[in-house]
Amino acid sequence: MTSSRVGRGRHAHGALVEGGTTDRDALGMGIVRSARLKPPPRIPSWVLKVVMAVTGVVFALFVLVHMIGNLKVFTGAEHFNEYAHWLRTVLQPFLPYEGLLWILRIALMVALVAHVWSAALIWRRGRASRGRHRRPGMWVKNFTARTMVVTGIVLLGFVVFHVLDLTTGTAGVAVDTFQPATPSTAHAYENLVSSLQRPWVALAYMVSMLALFLHLAHGLWTVVSDVGFTGVRLRTVAWWVAGVVALAVMLGNILIPIAVLMGVVA
Amino acid sequence: MKLVMDVWRQAAPGEAGHYETHEVDDATPEMSLLELLDRLNFALVENDREPVAFESDCREGICGACGITVDGIPHGPQQNTPSCHQRLASFHDGQRIRLEPLRSAAYPVIRDLVVDRSALDRIIVAGGHVAVPGGSAPDADALLVSHERAEQALDMAACIGCGACVAACPNGAAHLFVGSKLAHLSLLPTGRQERGKRARAMLNEMEQDFGPCSLYGECAKVCPANIPLTAIAAVNKEGLRSFFRHKDD
Repeated sequence: MTSSRVGRGRHAHGALVEGGTTDRDALGMGIVRSARLKPPPRIPSWVLKVVMAVTGVVFALFVLVHMIGNLKVFTGAEHFNEYAHWLRTVLQPFLPYEGLLWILRIALMVALVAHVWSAALIWRRGRASRGRHRRPGMWVKNFTARTMVVTGIVLLGFVVFHVLDLTTGTAGVAVDTFQPATPSTAHAYENLVSSLQRPWVALAYMVSMLALFLHLAHGLWTVVSDVGFTGVRLRTVAWWVAGVVALAVMLGNILIPIAVLMGVVA
Repeated sequence: MKLVMDVWRQAAPGEAGHYETHEVDDATPEMSLLELLDRLNFALVENDREPVAFESDCREGICGACGITVDGIPHGPQQNTPSCHQRLASFHDGQRIRLEPLRSAAYPVIRDLVVDRSALDRIIVAGGHVAVPGGSAPDADALLVSHERAEQALDMAACIGCGACVAACPNGAAHLFVGSKLAHLSLLPTGRQERGKRARAMLNEMEQDFGPCSLYGECAKVCPANIPLTAIAAVNKEGLRSFFRHKDD
């Protein structure tokens, strides 16, 4: 690189070197700036990516288990409500009522803060490192990569909506007939069905699941690089696992609003 | 064939650049992109105008000196091909193309299509070399390196340092460049002795000029040395390894 020769354009009027000095030798060597763009960051970007990978896998496992649990809605109201009740009373008396749920909620909340915070730092650093001229004309294959911020924001909004709708039953978001769970019984089935009978809510859930698919497909595939897997076979397997898990989560969840709208689940 | 070019002109670092439109009427499909610029420059000089500055050296795709952006794509429309090997057959007669320097905040423009890529050199200075005394040559089978491993190291060593990967990346990341070097040197016995130290030094240097990797995959698509996308995983692999091991090797 240092042998670089400036085309036919090595002209006599030495150019201004960034920093205010004129240095023709520097131009001849192809160096106009020796200062780094920024000091070493306190937390390197590759560490932030590892944080995103680990927290992302936590979310992926959660949504996979959550989807499998959701499918119990097809086994009828009684069984589904029993499952919702079991989630709150599992491991009693070792854990208090809703003990496991609160452990999960706190773990997910910590993961969410770390994930979003890392994402914001990475987004900002990426833009700063690219500079003024944006990269145009990228291929279709990295559509999911390019939309990670958008799908991420959609999912963040969805999580807030979903919790207000089916966990806290907040007025304005949840249906008027929302019944909170009690230590003796749960009404998850009735709450779920009456919420999804509102067409705009069903549509919002379906759009969010599409965003989840796009986000998971790229996110899970990125995990292999972020944790440093270089094996060819392992990477091929991981690419397929990422796609299949993302697709399974989306299809499994999207079945429910469709079934409710079609009256199969009522 | 005729080509219309919008060429980036910038007199000096830090100055505002602009596009200048030129036409070359006597281009031929087998000409390279750089020969097109040569042709344009002859015409400009004949008319007493400033020629377009661009970098080139071997024009055989092995030195890494050339590299311009064509219609937003580093090196040009043909994948995994350096600018010197990009043929005008990729374009149709009368096509309008935009030529600009490799774009990244880490690459300040020196003049026209020439950028300062010394940020890449600084990474190599930080750790892209072997600094342990190798001693005299060992007996042929005293230090066993499998054929497969040697091939892997050679594949990763193929990087010519053109820096197009950075310009292809919407994040301005240099993971393909750094990863190929880390992987290359960690695969071989002499280089492995400084594996941890090297990873720390190169990653620390990389963080000061380049961005994070979001796995867009654009870098591997433009790389004239065909470095696979796997190389970027080597960055985090070596980073994690040196972090947890905390030793020089």
